[in-house]
Amino acid sequence: MASSVSSQHDQILVEVNSSARILTLNRPKQLNALSLQMICRMLELFIAYEEDPNVKLVILKGKGRAFCTGGDVAAVVHDIRTGGWRAGANHFMKGYTLNYLMATYSKPQVSILNGIVMGGGNGASMHGRFRVATENALFAMPETAVGLFPDVGASYFFSRLPGFFGEYLGLTGARLGGAEMLACGLATHFVPSAKLSMLEAALYAVDSSDPEIISSIIDQYSEQPSLKEQSVYNRLDVIDRCFSQKTVEEILSALEREAVNGRDRWISATIQTLKKSSPTSLKISLRSIRVGRLQGVGPCLVREYRMVCHVLRGEFSKDFLEGYRAILVDKDKNPKWEPSKLELVTDTTVDRYFAKVIGEDWDDLKLPVRSKFNLPPYVIAKL
Amino acid sequence: MDRASQRTQILANHLLQSSPPSPLSSNACLSYSPPELSENYAFDVKEMRRIIDGHNVEERDWLFGLMRQSKLFNPKEKGGKVFVSPDYNQSMEQQREMTWKRIEYLLERGVFKGWLTEKGEAVEMWKFAGFEVSSIYDHSLFTKLGVHFFLWGGAIKFLGSKHHHEKWLMDSENYLIKGCFAMTELGHGSNVRGVETVTTYDSNTGEFVINTPCESAQKYWIGGAANHATHTVVFSQLHINGTNQGVHAFIVQIRDADGNICPNVRIADCGHKIGLNGVDNGRIWFDNVRVPRENLLNSVADVSPDGKYLSSIENPDQRFAAFMAPLTVGRVNIACTAVYQSKVALAIAIRYALTRRAFSLKPNEPEVLLLDYPSHQRRLIPLVAKIYAMSFAANYLKMLYVKRTPQSNKTIHIVSSSFKATFTWNNMQILQECREACGGQGLKTENRVGHLKGEYDVQSTFEGDNNILMQQVSKALFAEYVAAQKRNKAFKGLGLEHMNKPCPVIPSQLTSSTLRCSQFLVDALCLRERDLLNRFIADVSKCKAEGESTQQAFLMCYQLAEDLGRAFSDRAIFQTFIEAEATLPAGSLKDVLGTLRSLYALICLEDVSYVRYGYLSVENGASVRREITKICSELRPHALALVTSFGIPDAFLSPIAFNWIEANSWSSD
Repeated sequence: MASSVSSQHDQILVEVNSSARILTLNRPKQLNALSLQMICRMLELFIAYEEDPNVKLVILKGKGRAFCTGGDVAAVVHDIRTGGWRAGANHFMKGYTLNYLMATYSKPQVSILNGIVMGGGNGASMHGRFRVATENALFAMPETAVGLFPDVGASYFFSRLPGFFGEYLGLTGARLGGAEMLACGLATHFVPSAKLSMLEAALYAVDSSDPEIISSIIDQYSEQPSLKEQSVYNRLDVIDRCFSQKTVEEILSALEREAVNGRDRWISATIQTLKKSSPTSLKISLRSIRVGRLQGVGPCLVREYRMVCHVLRGEFSKDFLEGYRAILVDKDKNPKWEPSKLELVTDTTVDRYFAKVIGEDWDDLKLPVRSKFNLPPYVIAKL
Repeated sequence: MDRASQRTQILANHLLQSSPPSPLSSNACLSYSPPELSENYAFDVKEMRRIIDGHNVEERDWLFGLMRQSKLFNPKEKGGKVFVSPDYNQSMEQQREMTWKRIEYLLERGVFKGWLTEKGEAVEMWKFAGFEVSSIYDHSLFTKLGVHFFLWGGAIKFLGSKHHHEKWLMDSENYLIKGCFAMTELGHGSNVRGVETVTTYDSNTGEFVINTPCESAQKYWIGGAANHATHTVVFSQLHINGTNQGVHAFIVQIRDADGNICPNVRIADCGHKIGLNGVDNGRIWFDNVRVPRENLLNSVADVSPDGKYLSSIENPDQRFAAFMAPLTVGRVNIACTAVYQSKVALAIAIRYALTRRAFSLKPNEPEVLLLDYPSHQRRLIPLVAKIYAMSFAANYLKMLYVKRTPQSNKTIHIVSSSFKATFTWNNMQILQECREACGGQGLKTENRVGHLKGEYDVQSTFEGDNNILMQQVSKALFAEYVAAQKRNKAFKGLGLEHMNKPCPVIPSQLTSSTLRCSQFLVDALCLRERDLLNRFIADVSKCKAEGESTQQAFLMCYQLAEDLGRAFSDRAIFQTFIEAEATLPAGSLKDVLGTLRSLYALICLEDVSYVRYGYLSVENGASVRREITKICSELRPHALALVTSFGIPDAFLSPIAFNWIEANSWSSD
C-alpha cells in the first residue's frame, strides 16, 4: 500500500509505492505553476531515485485541473526587480537542469497529463519516456505571446515533431487536445481519465524499469482517440508548406497566400495570432527550433539558457516584462512590443541572443555529468 | 527562498562533480558509451563551425532541416535516431524519380529563389552553400541541380545575351524548363574543341541545322537527358559558308511539355553506373534538327540573318576559352563539395573510433578504443588537418570567384583547376582510409563512408579530368615564369611573389619548435615550388634545344609537371590556412588551429618529393615524421570537437557514428 512521506502543505507530494515513486505537483490554486522550491525539490528527488536501486519508475502528476502551467513568472519578475536579471536567470538555470536530468534519466518517467500542460509543465513531462494524455489534457507553449520563446528544451522536442508542426506550435502557441498530442507524438499514450486509477495501480505493481514492459502495461488502458475533422493536425500539409519557409516574414506571406486561395478561418486566425506576438520572440523562437533540430538535448538547453539570459537582461528588447504586464498584471492583452515590427528585428539582433553573455561573471549552463549511469538507448540517442 | 538556494548549492555540487569513468569489466557485454559523455570540448565548436563553413550558416541549417523533416528524403530510424539518406537499393528508375521529387519539394519551399535571376555576391555564396548541403544528402541530388543551375543556367547567363536571359532564366529557375548541357561526346571529352557535332546555317529559313554526323559524335553522359530535361545547350562546330568557326553553343528543345521526345532528336540511356544512379544520364543524336537563329548563344559570336559570321573576339583560342566559362563555376562548386564529403566520412570514422574497441593490452583488461591506438591516430588525424586546410582554401576560392573581375579570370581558372583536382583526389583518398578505419561496418551502404566512394569517384573526371587540369596548372606556371623573364619583371599573382625573394634555406637540424613555426613551413613549401618550377623550365628548354616542339617538350616532362602542380596546390592551400589563422583572436580556438596548420604542412613535407629532390635530409625527414606522430597524439583529445565543428547534423551521418549496438540489436531489425 501507498505510504505518504509528505504533508498536505508540501508543494510536491511524494508517495512511495513498492518500486514506484509518485510525485504530485501540489499548488492547485496556481495551477501547479513551478516555484523554485518545487524545481529544487524535484531535482533532489530525481537524483536520489536514480541512485536508489529500489526505485524502478517515477510517476509525475498534478493536483487539480492542471498538470502544470509552467514556471512561476510572477516570482521570476519579482526576483528580477529585487535582485537583478541574474536572480531571475537562476530559476531558469535550475529548471533547465531538471529538464536535462529528466531527458537523460536512466529510469522511466511516466507523466500523467490529465489537464492543462503549458510552458515549463511541458519541460517537466515531454523529456520523460512516457507521456500519458487524457481527454482533459490541454497543451500549449504560448511563450511568444508574452515576449519569451519556447524554452525548457522545446527547441529539442518541438523540432522532432513531424514536418514543421513544431514551428507551428512554437510560433503560434496553438493549443492541442489529448488526441492531437498523441497523433503528433507529444503524448506516447492516450488513456481516458476514468481509467487512470487503474493504470496507476497497475504501474505500482511493476517491478521493472524496462520501457517495453511499462509501455505494454500502459497499452492495456490506452485508446486510439479519433481526431476531430477540424483538428489542426489535419492541416499538416498547409502547416508544412508555410512553416517550412526560411523566415518569419516568409511564413506570414505563405500563410497569406494560402488565405487568398482557401478563405479559411483557421488560417486568418493563425495570421492574427502571429501578428499579435512579440516580433523579437517570433524570430528568436524560429531560429531556436531550427538550430535545435540539429542539436542534442544538452546543447539545446545550453543554448536556450543563453537566450533566456539575453531576454531577461533586456538589452535588445524588454518584451518579456511588457508581455508580463499586458497578459498577467494589467491583463489589457495589448502589449506594446519593442521593436514593434518583424522587419525591425535584424539577423544581427537575432544572432546576439545565441551568443554568450559577455562579462558580469556569467557562465554557460553547466549540465550534470551523466557518464556514470548506464543510460538506456533511447536516452543515448538524445545526447 | 533561502532554504531553496542553500539546497540548490548542495545539488549543484552534487550534479557537477565528475566521477572517473567506470573501468570496463572484461567479461560483461559490450555497451555503447556515447563519446559526448567522455570527451570534452576545449573550444567553442559552434564558433569553429562558423569559421570553417565561412558563410550562410543559418541558411545551411534551414536546408538541412527541410530535408530532415520530409518523408521524401527517406528518414529511417536506427538506434533511436533518425537518419536521412536515399534508398540506394531502389532501381535506377526509382532513384531518378525520387531525385526529381526531392527537387520539386525544395523548389516549392523556395530554396532556389533567385538562383538564376538575382545577381550579386550574397546569392552566389548562398548558392554554393546550398549545393554543399544538398551534396551532403546525396550526390545525385547535387548533380542534377548542378547541371540545371550551373551548366544549363550558367551557359545561358555567360554565353547568352539579354534576350536569352529574359526568355529562359525565370522559367528555368521555376523549373518550367528543365535544362541539360550537351558538351561531351562519345569520341571527345576533355578535348572539347574536337567535338564532331556540326551546325550549319540556312539563311532561307533563318534557322540553324544541328547534326550528329557519326556515332562518335553522339552526345554522351548528358545528365538529365535520359528522362527529365526539356531543353539542352548543344556544343557544336559552326560551319558558315564552308568555313569552320569553331565550337559554339545552341539552345535546342529536346522534349515537349508532356515529356515526349521532339522530332529529329534521338535519346538513349547511359544505363546503370557505379554511382549517381539518381541522375538520368543520356546520349543524344541530332538528325538535322532545326532551331531559330536566336537560339545561338551569341555573347561571343553571332550569325547575321543573311548568314554572315560576326565575332567580337578575333582570336579563335580566346573565343574558345570564353565558351568554357560555365565550367569554371562548376569546378569551384565541385571542389567545395568534395571537402564536405570528406567531412561526412571523417566525422563518421572518428566517432566510430571513439566508441569501438579492439584487443586488450593485458589479459582481463578492457579492450582499447580504436582512436587510442597511435597507429589509428596516425591514419585519421592528419586527415582532419587536411580537411581544415581544404575548408579554408575552399572559402578562399569561393570568394575569389564571387569577387571576380576580368583581370582575375586567369587566377580563378588556375586556382579552381588546381583545387578541384587536389580536393577531389584527396576526397577519394580520405573516403578509402575512412572506409578501412570503420572495418566491415564501412562496407554497409547505410553507413555511407564506403558507398560515397562510388558516388564521388566521378568528381575526378567531370568538369575537367584532374590530370589534364593539373597539366594546365604547370603550363600556366611555366608561362608566368617565361613572361616574368622576358619582361624582366617581378612575379606577381598566383602567390608566386616568393620567387622574387632569395631562396629560403632549410636548417640542417630541425627542432620541434622549428617544425611548428609557420614561417619555416611556408619556406619549405615555397622552396619546393620554386625549385620544381626552375627544374621544369630547364627540362622543357633542354627538350626544345634538342629539337622538340614546345607541346612535345611539355609531354616529355610530365613527371616534373605533376610534381610542380602538386607543389603549387599544397603551397596555395597552406597560404589560405595561414591567412585564416591570422584573422582570429588569441585563444583556445586559434591554438588548436595553429596545431592543425602545422600538421597540414608537415604531411605535405612528408611527400616523397622532399627526399627525391633533396630538400630534406634523411635525418630531417625522420624529424618531420616524428613531429607528425607527436601532433597526432596532441590532437587526439580534440578529435570529437574537431569533427563536431564540421557541422554535419547527426541525421546526415550514419548509424555507426552513434549507438551502433542498439542500431544492430535484434529488436531494431
